[in-house]
Amino acid sequence: MSGLDLTVRIGAMTMKNPVMVASGIFGYGDEFKGLANYGELGALVLKTITREPRAGNPPACRTAETPAGMVNAIGLENVGLDVFLRDKLPAALEYGTNIIASIAGETPEDFAECAGALDGSQVAGIEINISCPNVKKVGMSFGVDAEASSEVVSAVRGATGKPIIAKLTPNVTDIASIAMACEAAGADAISCTNTFSAMVIDVEKRCPLLAAGTGGLSGPAIRPAAVLRVYQVAQAVKCPVIGMGGIWNARDALEFILAGASAVAVGTALYADPAAGNRVLGGIRAYLEDHDVGAVGDLVGSVRL
Amino acid sequence: MSGTDASARRGSGDGGAGAQRIRAEIVENERLPGEHRRLLLKAPRIAENARCGQFVHVWCHSPDELDRPPSAALLRRPYSISRVRPPDDIEIMMRVRGNGGRMLAGRSEGEELDVIGPLGNGFYIRESLRRAVVVAGGIGLAPVPFLLQTLNSRRVQVVLLVGAASDEMIPYRVERSGTDGGATLPELATLGGEVAFASEAVEGKLVTDLLEERLGELGAEGDEIMAIGPRAMLKRVAEMVGRRLPVQVSLEERMACGVGACRSCVVPSTDGAYKTVCRDGPVFYASEIDWERLDP
Repeated sequence: MSGLDLTVRIGAMTMKNPVMVASGIFGYGDEFKGLANYGELGALVLKTITREPRAGNPPACRTAETPAGMVNAIGLENVGLDVFLRDKLPAALEYGTNIIASIAGETPEDFAECAGALDGSQVAGIEINISCPNVKKVGMSFGVDAEASSEVVSAVRGATGKPIIAKLTPNVTDIASIAMACEAAGADAISCTNTFSAMVIDVEKRCPLLAAGTGGLSGPAIRPAAVLRVYQVAQAVKCPVIGMGGIWNARDALEFILAGASAVAVGTALYADPAAGNRVLGGIRAYLEDHDVGAVGDLVGSVRL
Repeated sequence: MSGTDASARRGSGDGGAGAQRIRAEIVENERLPGEHRRLLLKAPRIAENARCGQFVHVWCHSPDELDRPPSAALLRRPYSISRVRPPDDIEIMMRVRGNGGRMLAGRSEGEELDVIGPLGNGFYIRESLRRAVVVAGGIGLAPVPFLLQTLNSRRVQVVLLVGAASDEMIPYRVERSGTDGGATLPELATLGGEVAFASEAVEGKLVTDLLEERLGELGAEGDEIMAIGPRAMLKRVAEMVGRRLPVQVSLEERMACGVGACRSCVVPSTDGAYKTVCRDGPVFYASEIDWERLDP
């Protein structure tokens, strides 16, 4: 047993280590049951839900593999708040670690209603998806604007005492200003970052490959760009930052931590290696031991310029 | 269609539960006619539990390199289980086209593959099934040997109809010797059952033409059609047969997670919802699919 301190605090939520699973990747959790020890991780963020069920984008082509990445345009297909609370959340809680719900909506009131309903549940925290780039009306309009982002965070803050995390889009000119607005409105943490808006074209058919036309790029291809966004956000806010974007191994995760992330989330890598989060966690432990660092918190933001 | 009610099967079929992730040794990696490849894998826990029509999700790179992100073939690739060789081995078969297939083609015997499976809902073999007409187009042949194995072990009479654009588009040797002008695939015929083959290039026929010729003799209570291949073919089979007898179809779609989480591979269903090919399928009753809304 090592004396390493891996714990991370986000508002009232304590995570036993800084490794999380990113929203959208992991479904509602039960789909991956048995493929890795997910209870070992610090927190699991489930697929974004909305108040009402959503069918999502046309089902013709929703995902495309690209060099070191993938572009997806699922369109927030989800079972809706009621089914989530009744069927999905209880199954996810069986993992025995922090379960974080992710919410989206078309108005600040939608977000608040979801947050209010989750307030009495056993979720450890609520992530506000103001940044999903796939849906024309939902989300995007908030995340690209500091004032709109602030309104959504305020509405959620007013509806719940749970820790709230604002998940930012990188598709903005000045991500730090959005992060500051979210923090000022009551966010306990910032998730950085969602996917980069992207397009893949089928040159034979001369039309977009994805049925939705455009989608969001994730995977190792975006990692250096995401690390920079985390660095910029961490410089601007006092609250914890959760870094994500193409993390594949422990060294990737450590880049985010050194840039200022208190915790990290693994996403696309889980589709190749369902135990990617566990592998990253093991690698972080090994790094801390090899470098005589007693607490992961000591590394946060310690990049030397 | 009593006894074949789709919802009854759905109720019991959770196409991801019980899947195992294992390191499977490549026992054989053989080149087949055309650009096809057959891999024999030592995968005991998958071989034991697999049902025909299910698939495995394969990481195409070395399992020793999982910690290094690849630039190509980042996602796993789904492959139908082509055959089970008890007690330990499974076969997968592919047409080598993209990055993943090329990578697998280059892997050596004795190396290991990171494989998750068995995944999805396979073919439902009802107790009352007496005769199955299996309709396969092109690489839709991949799961057929396993299906024939299963049907024969259940003493179901098999008629296999196979079609392809040309002989090179299927992984088997074609034999054209009969005076009736018909072609057959001897390697599949040895698995039991009657096998008819038509290529558009030589016979000038589609597999649906072969089915049409036989349709008149079908319709008994114990008859059923099982179709695997391109969507246009599956749709045509579903339209041709209508409600005269049950039709099961195996669908393909781009996948990312393979376990029903990412919602990449959804298809429109007649109940209005989207179903995942990976977890609700890949095998569905034709009556479950909204063919009008299904992307071609």
